[in-house]
Amino acid sequence: MTYRIAQTAFKNISRNKRRSILSGAAIAVASMSIVMLFAIIGGMSKDMEANLRNYYTGDVNIRNVDYEEYERFNPVHLTFNIDDAENVLAKIEGVDSWVPRTTFPTNMYIGGSNYGALGVGVDFSREAEYADLESIVKDGRLPEAGKNEMFIGAVLANNLHLKLGDKVTIMSMTASRGTNAITLKIAGIAAFPVAALNTSNFWMPLDRAQYFLQTPGGAQQIMIKTADGARSDTVADEISTVLREAGIPGDVNRMQDMSLMFGLLRLADAVYNVIAVFFFLLGSTVIINTTMMVIFERMREIGTLSALGMHGKELVRLFMLEGTFISAVGAGIGVIIGAAATLYLGRIGIDFTDAMQGMDMEISSILYPILSVPRTIFVYFYSVAIATLATLIPSRKASRIQPVEALKYI
Amino acid sequence: MNRKLIFTAITILILLPAFAFAISGDEIVRRADAAATFDTAESSGEMHITDRFGTKISSFDSWARGENESLIEFTSRAERGQKVLRTENEIYLYYPDAEELIRMQGSALRQGMLGSDISYEDMTGGKDRASQYSIEITDEQNLLGRDCWVLTLRANTRTVPYPKEIVWIDKQDYIVLKGEYYTKSGRLLKDMEVLEIGEMDGITMAVETRISDKMKSNSNTVLIMKDLKVDIKLDDEIFSLEELSW
Repeated sequence: MTYRIAQTAFKNISRNKRRSILSGAAIAVASMSIVMLFAIIGGMSKDMEANLRNYYTGDVNIRNVDYEEYERFNPVHLTFNIDDAENVLAKIEGVDSWVPRTTFPTNMYIGGSNYGALGVGVDFSREAEYADLESIVKDGRLPEAGKNEMFIGAVLANNLHLKLGDKVTIMSMTASRGTNAITLKIAGIAAFPVAALNTSNFWMPLDRAQYFLQTPGGAQQIMIKTADGARSDTVADEISTVLREAGIPGDVNRMQDMSLMFGLLRLADAVYNVIAVFFFLLGSTVIINTTMMVIFERMREIGTLSALGMHGKELVRLFMLEGTFISAVGAGIGVIIGAAATLYLGRIGIDFTDAMQGMDMEISSILYPILSVPRTIFVYFYSVAIATLATLIPSRKASRIQPVEALKYI
Repeated sequence: MNRKLIFTAITILILLPAFAFAISGDEIVRRADAAATFDTAESSGEMHITDRFGTKISSFDSWARGENESLIEFTSRAERGQKVLRTENEIYLYYPDAEELIRMQGSALRQGMLGSDISYEDMTGGKDRASQYSIEITDEQNLLGRDCWVLTLRANTRTVPYPKEIVWIDKQDYIVLKGEYYTKSGRLLKDMEVLEIGEMDGITMAVETRISDKMKSNSNTVLIMKDLKVDIKLDDEIFSLEELSW
């Protein structure tokens, strides 16, 4: 009997192809959207974490022990000795790479006016291993150690009408709490992946930053990437132990301990998931709505079937199977298209550069969606299940009405 | 009748010297500004700048001509070679590693010089406060064993750094012994107090002064004058932009 009902359901699908295709297409679009949304959200989350690791904190971070307490007062003098970092980190197994960096607020003096910017002193030779800065050189080259050169964010350069080879005088507070100024030549234009860095940052050789800021041998922070498989909390604990044994004061934190940044990441994750749930519900509504409409508009058919002796339960099973077949095909096509589009976009990226101008977030302006296979499989079965269940409400209602009543719809 | 006339005459005779020798607030301030201005001067000194991180000492040499031109060159290790030039209308900064001079303007003028409590704005404007403020003598007090007038100055113009000042001026040498500097609404922005008076090159002057920017917490700057020579011959070029970068 079930086999015959299944056969009838299958025949019904092909009997009104247009209706079936429209219904299946709606389910496909909803499934595809959900797959892609999950992929974009996954990409954003992963991207934000990568940016925190590469540009803000590292997996583990060492700073001067007093830095956090005085952070809001721009304590340029509170640095961590780079030689100490070298000695300590050589003893830790789980360290993949590390870089010293010093970030300092400056005024760029251009044409008699001051423009705020953030300077970052970096050891470009170490950065090659850590953040692959070569890959973000938009124009020119990376600055060389010992030279008064800068690597400036593309948007900042554009806003200030600066180009390769131009000289810019920067002013900043020094470690002695006085001020200093130095003129730097633009050696390279950077396409930082993060919009906030692009609009405000210029990077300069660490040795020149140390000279300018009067912080010889020191850096504001030591950013550490842990090796694959190494846990950041284990590495952080080991570093703390070695520092303690060596009598070197230092503030060791994991990315998640640096509350503001990681808090933002967690907040962003929560926000993205809420957005995902809304889209998911929206997609579900489309599937439910389509399926229910398809059944409600077939009351005449239901009346006829009832008049011919089909029982209520059989009617419910018939429409449920119809919904299952359509949604299985529709969701399958949607999920395949969504996965294919995600894989393609994951390769070329989605460019949000214009939309993210002026946004101070650690999200890259080009996002690369990441396909999650478990989530994609879940979306497929969810879509089929929701469409199947959605047939229950109208078909159960239809099964309870008398043939005479059903025939009134004619 | 005669008794009345005699009484009036005596009263006039008693009060006459008081009226004849009374000095106005404008005149006191004018004399104080004149006392702090020299045709030419060369001096050296130190700034002891204290903030939440401790105290640092910056030493300097300075040259001045009249009320509008001055040059400060820092000699302490951290700032060696940095110069601040004040001309009639502008302030320029010279840094040895910068290829251009920096002209201070707008909000940058409110920054403390070398992180001190003395802003670049404090160096701007002429010293002729008598023409820029309405001045009223409000009290008389004794500071550092010296009698002084307490004057309240209210600005007539918007070009002055402080809309309201209360200053204590020594009656003997017209030295400003203390000052409080307010916003128009009466918020205290800065205060100044002379800690020690001494004599240099025959001139009695404040040799140690504490300035405190009330917008910063735990911050003050003690300015100590080490040496002063007045009315000396100064090369005209000292106050030129061309000379500044040499």
